[in-house]
Amino acid sequence: MNAVELDQLKKTFQVKQGSGFKRSSKEIVAVDGISLTVPAGQSVAFIGPNGAGKSTTIKMLTGILRPSSGSASVLGFNPWDQRSKLAFQMGVVFGQRSQLWYHLPPRDTFELLAKVYELPPADYKIRRDMLIERFKLSSFLNTPVRKLSLGQRMRAEIAASLLHKPKLVFLDEPTIGLDVIARQELRDLICEWNRDEGVTVFLTSHDAGDIESVAERVIVINHGQVVLDGSVGEMRRDYLSAKLLTVAFHDRPASFDVNGAKIIERTDHSCKLELDTSVSPVSVVVPQIMQLGEVADITIEDPPLEDVIAHIYSSKHSPQQRY
Amino acid sequence: MNAIKKYFFVAWIAMRSNLAYFSEVSGRLIFLGVVLFIFLRLWQVTFGENGAKTLGGLTLAQMLWYLTVTEAIILSSPPVARLVDQDVRTGALSVQLTRPLYYPFFCLFTNLGERFLRFFLNLAVGSVIAYIFVGPINFRADGLALFLLSVPLAFTLDFSVNFLIGLGAFWLEDTAGLTLIYSRILMIFGGMLIPIELFPEWLQPAVKWLPFSSVVYGPAHLFVKPDLAEFALLLLRQTSALLVIGIAVYWVFQTAMRRVFVNGG
Amino acid sequence: MYKKLQSYFRLAGAYTVVGFKANLEYRGAFLSQMIAMFLNDSVWLVFWIIFFTRFPILKGWNVNDVITLWAVSAAGFGMAHACFGNAISLAGLITRGQLDNWLIYPRALLPHLLLGKVTATEWGDILFGYSAYLLLVHPSLSDFALFVFLTFAVAVLFLGFSILSGSLAFWLGNAENVCDQWRFAMITFSTYPASLFDGQAKLFLYTIIPAGFCSYFPVQALKENSLLYASYSMLGALAVFVLGVVAFYIGLRRYESGNMLEMRS
Repeated sequence: MNAVELDQLKKTFQVKQGSGFKRSSKEIVAVDGISLTVPAGQSVAFIGPNGAGKSTTIKMLTGILRPSSGSASVLGFNPWDQRSKLAFQMGVVFGQRSQLWYHLPPRDTFELLAKVYELPPADYKIRRDMLIERFKLSSFLNTPVRKLSLGQRMRAEIAASLLHKPKLVFLDEPTIGLDVIARQELRDLICEWNRDEGVTVFLTSHDAGDIESVAERVIVINHGQVVLDGSVGEMRRDYLSAKLLTVAFHDRPASFDVNGAKIIERTDHSCKLELDTSVSPVSVVVPQIMQLGEVADITIEDPPLEDVIAHIYSSKHSPQQRY
Repeated sequence: MNAIKKYFFVAWIAMRSNLAYFSEVSGRLIFLGVVLFIFLRLWQVTFGENGAKTLGGLTLAQMLWYLTVTEAIILSSPPVARLVDQDVRTGALSVQLTRPLYYPFFCLFTNLGERFLRFFLNLAVGSVIAYIFVGPINFRADGLALFLLSVPLAFTLDFSVNFLIGLGAFWLEDTAGLTLIYSRILMIFGGMLIPIELFPEWLQPAVKWLPFSSVVYGPAHLFVKPDLAEFALLLLRQTSALLVIGIAVYWVFQTAMRRVFVNGG
Repeated sequence: MYKKLQSYFRLAGAYTVVGFKANLEYRGAFLSQMIAMFLNDSVWLVFWIIFFTRFPILKGWNVNDVITLWAVSAAGFGMAHACFGNAISLAGLITRGQLDNWLIYPRALLPHLLLGKVTATEWGDILFGYSAYLLLVHPSLSDFALFVFLTFAVAVLFLGFSILSGSLAFWLGNAENVCDQWRFAMITFSTYPASLFDGQAKLFLYTIIPAGFCSYFPVQALKENSLLYASYSMLGALAVFVLGVVAFYIGLRRYESGNMLEMRS
């Protein structure tokens, strides 16, 4: 069974321009005929630059917005006509918006959601206790949300969206603002849930790491259209294998030449290298750098997703497009 | 001379930075339109039922113009107490103290700049509405001059009370409550809704000598019925009230400053 | 059907409990806001008492009638928004695309949305309305029962009107100001005796600004002990409410979520 089926989904907005009497309105196409299917149980990353049409698509899938044309079926429901029925089986987390009550402990929000989703009290208690354990919420379950760390808040946030055993979960930028450890914790939890409960996961993120560790499949969208649709494995091999290394030295090394790394920038004391980890992994490159001089600082980062997408976009007509 | 000039410059800057207030004109138009229409009907009916030409010494037209001015005065009040309260709590006050400006005067002139702009805007909008409803009253240049002379002291007096409440932030957990109580007392005993002549006889002398009427009723009454003797009396009331409150402000501010210097703000 | 209804009552209960808990986190602020509103309403009562001391009858209304009017409208307004706090901010929620927060839940949008907030000031209104009526009017038991019914009617009226005026934002876009002014006019008119207005103004009070169902029928019902007038009040309120709900759901089809902001950047 397919969790999501989209056929030529399209959404246009009227945007008012200017002010006063010189007002005119212009039509903007946010989503331009997207068709795709997601089988139940799959985890999909949905990525693209700001304004590409990601959130508009998600809002149509969750029944928040009505499309201008095209059709969609989510868990067998038409999202905008059967919003309520769909909502019983769907969980949504907006990283930028909280469904937890800010001044109250997470426990109170859970109680409230149990009423919202009409959960029988006995089922709810079992489910809640299980989530508390799996998401390690017990230490702060009775602390007002405003006093929680962002990582704790997001764990509670996602647990809250799973209370009613949804079959499909939309996660919109769930790791935004989290530190590295909290981020990895959260990714592991999402993966686990996807694997153990067979929940279909629909994730949007600006973080390449999120996509690599959570999703099986990546859909890249730009200008309201699907630019690339492939497995994460392929995506990793083709586009996500690069890493950026910034190295600062105490002294002035004679050269910055390292096998398998490309120098992007350099000064007397520091350099920025790009390496292709499929050819030369970090574990091979770093010892070489240590040989060059007395290292003061090293940072390793993923190239920004925008660059990756730009790369994909520029090579769109090459035979790399699959599926 | 320069010492005084800079305070007027502060007022000027405050006025300019509030020019955005002009965009609220349309909102004010509806607001004052509704309020003044209701007052018009209320007093039309009251005059009619009592078969009177004047009530409390005012004709119907004067009554409506009186209420226009009182509304303009009350609506123009910037949130002084809240701003001072914030300055105290955030420690911004200590930063202000490093400048060669006396903080109370800095606040006063910021307040006056802002308030005069808002006041004349409200008065302009209100006048248009009052003019449409009841036409002009007998304006005289010397009468308007008396009114204009009474306004700065009225605003300074109102400012001083609010400033005093704001300074309360040094000792109190919350000053919003006090601000609200003061503003409501000002509304009722200032004569915003009904001129003091129509208060019960026994209450009138006390209400007139309380500082609230010197802020609202005094200038508004001069506006509709200019009178030199009344002007002199108002000036006396305003200055004596200002003297008392001014001393209180000075004393409280000095005490507060000692706290800042001892505790580091 | 019955089960559904029961489930919504349970939901309402749950939201009210959570809303109160959230407010009790800052019980000082809750209490002071409540008292502030009580005080604010009281100032208007003082004005009317001063007014009626001087002019005992106003178009057939005496001081008790006006106190009743204030009691009914304050309590009704409070009851409409005390647990349905979001009704007041509906326009803002629509223009900022915040309906999303409720659209993801399996519940009818409007009731769920309205339930989302408990407001302190409105409890002050309720407290004021009931205590003013009980302490100043000294009603008989049957009068009091009628009063309770009327406050419910007025609550329906204000809730419906808030939904209606807020839904305007679906069409006007960024027009919170217009909605606010319209609601302000409604609130203002509903606190003055309806008998002040005649002719066209009277027509307005039962159409564009349906304050008459608050400022005329309820007071008349209590004055004449008339169930007929009471039912007029409730019928008018229900009509406004239905209109508001219809406007909301028609407007919802135009809802554009928060995307517009995103696209502008």
